[in-house]
Amino acid sequence: MSQPIIQMREIEKHFGSVIALAGVSVDVHAGECHCLLGDNGAGKSTFIKTMSGVHKPTHGEILFEGQAMHFADPRDAISAGIATVHQHLAMIPLMSVSRNFFMGNEPIKSIGPLKLFDHEYANRVTMEEMRKMGINLRGPDQAVGTLSGGERQTVAIARAVHFGAKVLILDEPTSALGVRQTANVLATIDKVRKQGIAVVFITHNVRHALAVGDRFTVLNRGKTLGTALKGEISPEELQDLMAGGQELAQLEGSLGGTV
Amino acid sequence: MSQATQAVGSDERVKQISSLRKALIRPELGGMCGTVIVFVLFFIFAGDSGMFNAQGVMNWTTVSAQFMIIAVGACLLMIAGEFDLSIGSMIGFAGMMIAIFGVTLGWPMWAAILITFALCLAIGALNGYIVVRTGLPSFIVTLAFLFILRGFTIFLPQLIERKTIIGGIRDAAEGDWLAPIFGGKILTGLFQWFGDMGIIATFTRGTKQGQPVVEGIPMLVVWALFLVFVGHFILTRTQFGNWIFASGGDAESARNSGVPVNKVKICMFMFTAFGAAVFAACQVMEFGSAGADRGLLKEFEAIIAVVIGGALLTGGYGSVIGAALGALIFGVVQQGLFFAGVESSLFRVFLGVILLFAVILNTYIRRIITGER
Amino acid sequence: MKSVIKTIALATTVAATPLMVATTASAAGEKYILVSHAPDSDSWWNTIKNGIALAGEQLDVEVEYRNPPTGDLADMARIIEQAAASGPDGIITTLADFDVLSGPIRAAVDQGIDVIIMNSGTPEQVREVGALMFVGQPEYDAGYAAGLRAKGDGIGSFVCVNHVISNTVVAERCRGFADGLGIDLGSQMIDAGQDPAEIKNRVQAYLNANPETDAVLTLGPTSADPTKLALEEMGLAGDIYFGTFDLGDEIVKGIKDGIIQWGIDQQPFLQAYMPVVVLTNYDRYGVLPGNNINSGPGFVTKDGLTKVEEFAGKYR
Repeated sequence: MSQPIIQMREIEKHFGSVIALAGVSVDVHAGECHCLLGDNGAGKSTFIKTMSGVHKPTHGEILFEGQAMHFADPRDAISAGIATVHQHLAMIPLMSVSRNFFMGNEPIKSIGPLKLFDHEYANRVTMEEMRKMGINLRGPDQAVGTLSGGERQTVAIARAVHFGAKVLILDEPTSALGVRQTANVLATIDKVRKQGIAVVFITHNVRHALAVGDRFTVLNRGKTLGTALKGEISPEELQDLMAGGQELAQLEGSLGGTV
Repeated sequence: MSQATQAVGSDERVKQISSLRKALIRPELGGMCGTVIVFVLFFIFAGDSGMFNAQGVMNWTTVSAQFMIIAVGACLLMIAGEFDLSIGSMIGFAGMMIAIFGVTLGWPMWAAILITFALCLAIGALNGYIVVRTGLPSFIVTLAFLFILRGFTIFLPQLIERKTIIGGIRDAAEGDWLAPIFGGKILTGLFQWFGDMGIIATFTRGTKQGQPVVEGIPMLVVWALFLVFVGHFILTRTQFGNWIFASGGDAESARNSGVPVNKVKICMFMFTAFGAAVFAACQVMEFGSAGADRGLLKEFEAIIAVVIGGALLTGGYGSVIGAALGALIFGVVQQGLFFAGVESSLFRVFLGVILLFAVILNTYIRRIITGER
Repeated sequence: MKSVIKTIALATTVAATPLMVATTASAAGEKYILVSHAPDSDSWWNTIKNGIALAGEQLDVEVEYRNPPTGDLADMARIIEQAAASGPDGIITTLADFDVLSGPIRAAVDQGIDVIIMNSGTPEQVREVGALMFVGQPEYDAGYAAGLRAKGDGIGSFVCVNHVISNTVVAERCRGFADGLGIDLGSQMIDAGQDPAEIKNRVQAYLNANPETDAVLTLGPTSADPTKLALEEMGLAGDIYFGTFDLGDEIVKGIKDGIIQWGIDQQPFLQAYMPVVVLTNYDRYGVLPGNNINSGPGFVTKDGLTKVEEFAGKYR
C-alpha cells in the first residue's frame, strides 16, 4: 500500500468549552473509499470541515501527500485537490446543469478585452462528464431542479472530479435518497474510486458503508475507535461501535434486530 | 455539443416536457406576450387618440425608458437575491445633490454630476455591505435607507436654501460637456427632416414654429437601451453573470463553490444605485430643477416592472430583457390607459391585477423548473 | 397560459372602459384636460374634480382630470406632454414648479393648444409660458385684503402662524396681511412646524410673551386647528381676533362658534370651473376676458356658513 494521501493525526477541535473532536487520527488512501461512520453529534461534520479547510484544528496536524498543510480557507483546500460535496449540494435548482457544473470555475473565452462565459465549452463538457457517470441529460440547459436527488449527487460528484479532486469528501450523500437512487450514488462512488481518487464517505448507514467501503472508521463522541479494513468487521460490530456499545444492543434486542 | 444532443435524443425522458412548456420557462416569454397583447389592444382602443403619433410614441417611450433605467439594476439585484427599496429615495437624493453641488455651491456641472455618482455608488455599496455583513434582509436595510435618503433630500435644501425645490440647473449646465450626456437629445437633424417632410407634426406657432414636435431621441432613452444591453450581456454571457444567478439561487451553495457572493451582491447594490443616479441626472437635466419629492414610489415601480418581466422575487431567476419588456408594458399601460380614456385612478387597479398575475405565473414557472409539486 | 391570463385581464379592463368614459365625459366636441400637481391623497383637490365635472356637464364638453399619483412634479410634466399629444382643445394646469413645467406647457401652447394656469403661479410666469390667463388666488393680494378688513375691525398687531415656512408663496399671505394693516411684519410670523402639539405650544408661548397681540392669523387647517385649541386652553377663544386661510371642518365649526372671525376661501371650485367656461367660450365664440380671474379671497363669516356646510368637500 502506498503512502496515504491524507493523514489526520490526533486532531482536536474545541468550540469554546465544547470539545467537538478529542484526538482523531485517520489515514485516507488514494483509490479507496474510506467510510466515516457515526451517529448524529458524533463529530463527523466537524471532522470533515477540518479536513476541507473550513475549520482549523485546535491541536494535531494534517499531512497532505506527506506534507503538513495549513489551509487558510476552503478555496485553498479545493485548489489543493480536496473537494467536498456537502449535504446540501452546492447545486442551485433554478440554474441549468451546465451553469451549475461550472459555478465558481466558469470557462472564459476572451474576445478582446471582454471575458465571456464560454457556454459552448461548458455545455459540451457537462454533457460528456454526465454521460461518463451514466446520466443522460435532456440538454445542458436543463435545470438542476428537475433532476432527482441521486442525479444531483452525481452532478456534484462529477463536477468535483472534473475539477481535479484527488480527495472527494461526500457528506451523507445517501441520507435523503430512496433505494434506487442510493444504488446509483453508490455505483458512482465506485466509479470515482476506480479512477484513483480517494473518497471519504460520511454516513450513518452501515449497509451503505459496507456496500462500497474499503476502510471503516467509527466516530463516537468526538473520538475514534480505530479503523477497520473491509472484511475485518461485521455490520453488527459497526452498529454497536456507532452507538457506543451497550444501549443499542439492548434496544436492538427489543426491536428484533432490525435497526 | 451536437453529438451529445443526439446521444441524448434516445433518452426516454425527452418527450416529457412539451415544447410549449419548454417555451414557457423562458423568463422573458411572458413579457413578450404581454407586450404584443398590450400593443394590439391599445392599437384597437386608442389607435386614433394620438397615442401612436410621433408625440404620443415619444411620450410612452420616455416613460418606459425611465422605468427601464431603474428596472435593469433592480432586476440584476433581484436575481442576485436582494431588494433595494431605496431606489426612489436615491433618485430624489441624487437629483438634489446635483442641484446643491451645481447650483447652490456653483461647482461646474460635470463635477457635480461625477461627485453625485460617486456618492450614490458609495451609498449603494454601504447598503450592500450592511446587508451581507449583518445578514439582515435587504428589505429592512434598504427600507431604512428609503427614509434616511428621503430625509436628507428634504433636510439639506431646506437647511441651505430654505426651500425644497432647487431650480436653475439648466442654466448652470449651459455649455457643460457632461450634462448633454444626460439631458441632451440625439438624431435631432433626422427629426427635423421628418418634420420638414411632413412625416411628423411641427409646431404651428411660438418660438419653435416649424420645428418638429419631437425634437429627437432623448438621452434618457439611449441610456435605457444601453443599460439593458449591458445588463443582459453581463448576466447571460459573462462569468460574473453566472455568479449573479448563483448568489441569488442559493448563496450558501454558491459560496461553497467558490463564488464571491458578498462581492457580487455589493456590486449589484452599486449597479442599482448607478441606475437611480442616471435616472436622476436625466431628470434634473431635462426639467432643470430638483425637488425633494422626486422619485416617490419609484422603487416599487422598478420591482413591479422586474416581476412582470418574469424574475422571481426569491432570486436566482430572471432576465434583463424580460425586465425591460416589463418596463415597456408598465409605461405603455400607464400612458395608454389615459389615451384610451380610462379614468386615471383605475391605473392602479390595472397595475395590481397585472402584478398579481405575473407573480402567480412566476410561481408556476418555478414549479416547472424545479419540479416542485 | 400567460397569454390567456393577460387577455382576460386586459379584456376586463377594456370592457369596462366605455362605462368609465361615460362617467367622465359627455362628449360634445371640445375636450379639456386639467392636470394638477396634487397626489392622490390630497382631498382638497376633490372640489376641483367636481368643479370641472360640473362645468363639463353644464357646457356639454368633455373634461378630464389628471394628476401624478405621488405628487411627483416630474411625472406631472410627462402628463402634460401626454395631454398635449392627445390633442385636446385646451389644457388647464398649475405652475407648481416653473422650471419643471414651463417646458411642456410652452410646447403645448406652441402646438396650438390653449392653456390656462390655475391655482399656482404668478402672473409674470403665466405670461412667460404663453398661457391665456391665470385663475387663482394671488396670495399677497388675498393677505392684503384680509389685512384691510382686520384694520377696519380695529386690529393693530398680530401673529402669523406659518406651518409651511419653506413655502415662500404661502408666506406672502402674512406679508400681505401686515401691509394691509399698515404695519411692519417684523418678527410677527412664527415658524410653527407641522406637528399639532408643537404648533399649539408655540402659539401659547408667543401669546404669553406678547400679551398685547390683537389678532392671530393661521395659514390653513394644519395650523388653524391647533391654534384654536391653544386659544381655548388659554381662555382667549372668542376674545382674540382670529382669522385663517382655507377652510376645513374645525375652521367652519370655529366660525360658527364665534371663535374664528373669518376664513379666507380661495374657492377651488372656481379655479376649476372658470377655466372650462372661459376655454369653451373662447373656442366657441372667440371671447376671452381681458384679465386674470381671482378666485379668492372669498371671506367666509358666520353669515355665509349654511352654503359652506352644505357643500363642504364637494364644491366648497
